[in-house]
Amino acid sequence: MTRPESPTQVSIAAGPLVGPVLRRVVGMFAARADLPLDRLDDAVLVADLVAARAPAHVVNATVDVTLMASPRAIDLRVGPLRPGGGKALVVDAAVPGVGNVIEQLADGLEVETEGEQEFLRVRLAYAGSD
Amino acid sequence: MARDHAVPEHDSDIRLTVPARPENVAVVRHVLAALADALALPRAVTDDMRLAVTEACTNVVRHAYETEGTIDVVVRPRGDAIEVIVSDEGRGIGPSPDTAGPGLGMPLIAALADTFEVQRDRGNGSRLVMRFLRSRSTPAMGMA
Repeated sequence: MTRPESPTQVSIAAGPLVGPVLRRVVGMFAARADLPLDRLDDAVLVADLVAARAPAHVVNATVDVTLMASPRAIDLRVGPLRPGGGKALVVDAAVPGVGNVIEQLADGLEVETEGEQEFLRVRLAYAGSD
Repeated sequence: MARDHAVPEHDSDIRLTVPARPENVAVVRHVLAALADALALPRAVTDDMRLAVTEACTNVVRHAYETEGTIDVVVRPRGDAIEVIVSDEGRGIGPSPDTAGPGLGMPLIAALADTFEVQRDRGNGSRLVMRFLRSRSTPAMGMA
């Protein structure tokens, strides 16, 4: 990749299509970022968790995700979410016996606030990409 | 295992906004493939829809912008049809002075979609509205 990538935005009505669509788009961006296969799988797993948990925390009736691919890293920005929704989304991703999957897989995890809305930013990268 | 593919209309809209670059046409195609899998669309419908939308997006990439811009794709399953709207904010769909081509894109889209409408607003982009009936069992152009 020679040029910096502009963001891609995907907005899916909260419902049964969020998972199938989001995992495809995230998987494609992970491949474009040249992430190795294990990290690509991690990115798809994070996408599945976001798809499953985000609808409970979104402001509107849609799950909105902005994606940015860079060499060996992708960034997801999920939102707008309700106040407290950023942290709640991460907490909801905990799996009994496994722990919090998003926290374990992400290289960066941050809740951004814009007015009364929150956005969860998740970064997945290949070790040594920075 | 049988799956229930009935998706309520209010749960089914998808909007994708990508930079108008050739590599992002593939992103749009992947989204359509995911939708087709989830709704168990007939292969003929999926193939025609993907090809027509690929042509529409390629038109935007080639003709809509002098430098950079975006492709906006909205997918709406509506009753017995899938509606796909491809829009841009550039100079609109159609030939541009700096790129040449055989001009097959629009006729191909017209042949592949069950209904098709272009809404041009020169200087403010264009919208291409395509509808594909779910019930179709054979490809529109016999290209199975």
